Amino acid sequence: MTSTATPATAGTRPPAPDPAPAPPRRGGTSRLHRTEKRWALLFVAAPVLGYLLFILYPTLFALYASLTRWNGLGPMQFIGLDNYVALLGDERFRQTLFNTFFYMIGIPIGLAISLALAVMMNRKIFGRAAFRAIYYVPVISSIAAIAILWQWAYNGDFGLVNQFLGLFGIDGPNWLADPVWAKPAIIMMAVWKGLGYSMLLYLAAIQSVPRSLYEAAELDGAGGWQKFRSITLPMVQPVTFFLIVTQVIGGAMIFIEIQIMTPTGGPEYSTASVVYHIWLQAFRYQQMGYATAMSVVLGLLILVITLIQFRLNRRNAGFVVD
Amino acid sequence: MRKSRLIAGIATALVAASTLAACGSGGGSGTDDGTLTFMFRGGDDEKKAYQEAIDRFTEDTGVKVKMIVTSADQYAQKLQAAVAGNKVPDVFYIEQASLQSYVSSGVLMDITDQVAEQGVDLDNIWPYGVDSYRFDGTTQGTPGGKLYGLPKDIGPFAFGYNADLLEKAGVERPDPDEPLTWDEWLKICKKLTQDTDGDGETDQWGTGLNVQWNSQSFVWSNGGDWTNEDHTQVTVDTPEFAEAIQFIADLTEQGVTPNPEQAQTLDTYQRFMAGEIGFFPVGPWDMSVYNDLDFEYDLMPWPVGRTGEPATWVGSLGIGVSNTTDLPEDAVKLATYLSTDEAAQQTLVDANVQIPNRIDTAQEWAAEVEEDDSLKPRNRQEFLDIAEDYGREMPASFTYGAEWYDELWVGIQPVLDGKQKAADYLAEVQPRMQELLDQSNAQAEQAAAAGSAP
Repeated sequence: MTSTATPATAGTRPPAPDPAPAPPRRGGTSRLHRTEKRWALLFVAAPVLGYLLFILYPTLFALYASLTRWNGLGPMQFIGLDNYVALLGDERFRQTLFNTFFYMIGIPIGLAISLALAVMMNRKIFGRAAFRAIYYVPVISSIAAIAILWQWAYNGDFGLVNQFLGLFGIDGPNWLADPVWAKPAIIMMAVWKGLGYSMLLYLAAIQSVPRSLYEAAELDGAGGWQKFRSITLPMVQPVTFFLIVTQVIGGAMIFIEIQIMTPTGGPEYSTASVVYHIWLQAFRYQQMGYATAMSVVLGLLILVITLIQFRLNRRNAGFVVD
Repeated sequence: MRKSRLIAGIATALVAASTLAACGSGGGSGTDDGTLTFMFRGGDDEKKAYQEAIDRFTEDTGVKVKMIVTSADQYAQKLQAAVAGNKVPDVFYIEQASLQSYVSSGVLMDITDQVAEQGVDLDNIWPYGVDSYRFDGTTQGTPGGKLYGLPKDIGPFAFGYNADLLEKAGVERPDPDEPLTWDEWLKICKKLTQDTDGDGETDQWGTGLNVQWNSQSFVWSNGGDWTNEDHTQVTVDTPEFAEAIQFIADLTEQGVTPNPEQAQTLDTYQRFMAGEIGFFPVGPWDMSVYNDLDFEYDLMPWPVGRTGEPATWVGSLGIGVSNTTDLPEDAVKLATYLSTDEAAQQTLVDANVQIPNRIDTAQEWAAEVEEDDSLKPRNRQEFLDIAEDYGREMPASFTYGAEWYDELWVGIQPVLDGKQKAADYLAEVQPRMQELLDQSNAQAEQAAAAGSAP
């Protein structure tokens, strides 16, 4: 056996045959690097594939379907922009669009209440943990169950809401059967359901405001309201922005509570949201192509509104949420 | 070690990908081992009855059947999803109103010849039921069309009353052959409307109607209708139509029916079962529940309007066969069995969820009450009279989609609340309904053209 024996059998490292320095390593060419790169690609592929399969493909498919006459069963028939033209003259679509945006009145109301609650919950009051839990319960409850409970609460005859109003001598309306009161009724329910979530985010934001800011303000003689207005409010602004953006998007897609509480779209279609209208067209009237066109329009509207919000936010506050 | 892990990873990815692909391309229907799939909807009573009927089918023919059951309100959506996913069940329920779109989309099989080969005497099945699933490419419900399904049942929507309540109020039982006029009926309703416990609030009413399901009888009996014969013109703006709707709306004002708040608290169906309401509609599917009530109920002809003839609707649900089934022969056999086999029908009739599909069996069923005093309802014959004499299909049963029809109900609340005259509302809604009906007819034509093209 000579020293040229293979290292595997010799068990000792042979001297390097070439005294010249090893060739310079370029990035990514080592075996380790290459293997890891492969692995990385595989991991990256999962979300990318998921995106292609579950987001991009359905989106493109929907764009095409919106240009067809299609009942959801048979072959599609290309009809160009006919669906979109029909949409312009669809009174019900306009009405449901109005209803949907009307529901968004609840967003600022809900934010104001949850900020107030968050400020209160931040103080050392008795049973603070219990209150936090109570306000958060609706958030984790099933929306279907909540909708049914509120449907009972809104019953014109024996519902909790009207019984409560009756204590003050107010004769409450028949909420869900009255074209004027049905929308406010749904807004109240939505605000109630959303409170806990907004409150929790606000609470976290308030607690992360540096104490020193308040101390400095106190030294300058600022009162409670001044501290709130000039420190707390601007410091939680990113959370406010985040909540508004997500709630507008969520609000534009409101459906389940509408369908359960007012299965026919409410008196004179007064509670029907856009998504409700889309659902009805797609699954009851078998106008899948037309319904898809409506959802494309809804998607574009949400996109535009969200872009405007980002623009306004940047200009007003200088906070950028990435 | 590292290499093998990489291979494992790739293998996993491949398996996942091929599974997805399999989901996408899994064409055809049913399973390969000769088992049929049957998709239907219904409550527990129906499920049990069908399980029994299907067990007997398997025993007789050796064909295994896998049942897929959904709740009533989810059925249409689930079936549509199954079709879109290329997993059409071999045999499934089909609604009258969706028949045309399922035919033109090529989902339903033309079973005219196969059913004839089974040796079934279709003349012994309610013609309304069979014709509902005939479609000649333009018109549905015509005797000459090809057969795309068989009736699962027909549902004559009868009128009924609480016999105990009438007796207590000193009112004679309505004659089963001589219908009451609207005025006579209203007078009795007023007599039945009472405050029985003397607390100053009405707690017993003459009736409690639902405009969406009960107005058909009043409109038709008064000589009105939703459309003309060939479903091209919406005719809801006629005086006869308006008078009928107004009559129903005025019942609330007359106080003979629970007001909207009271009806919301406990709907009139519940109130009838609680013995608070005198007159109420009865469908065959109600028998399983009504027969156990602690008062006696019976059937009567609907009160009559200007024409002097009673009228009402007959519902029906069909059983269709998939066009892509691997086992067409067995599938048709199952559909035929469920619809027409004597033993299978008996199971369903015994469960009190429907009247017999076979005319001779139905006649026997109606005559049984003569021999057995415990059978309910006494006037079973009324269901048969409706089926063969004065029943019709729902206005939107044979049109392509029901959007035009639903439009009528969307804004009708002010009329029922007495805030708007029926005639004014109907004049206002007619053009909108017409426009939707035109659209639906245009769609039917396009669908028919697209369906026959390839």
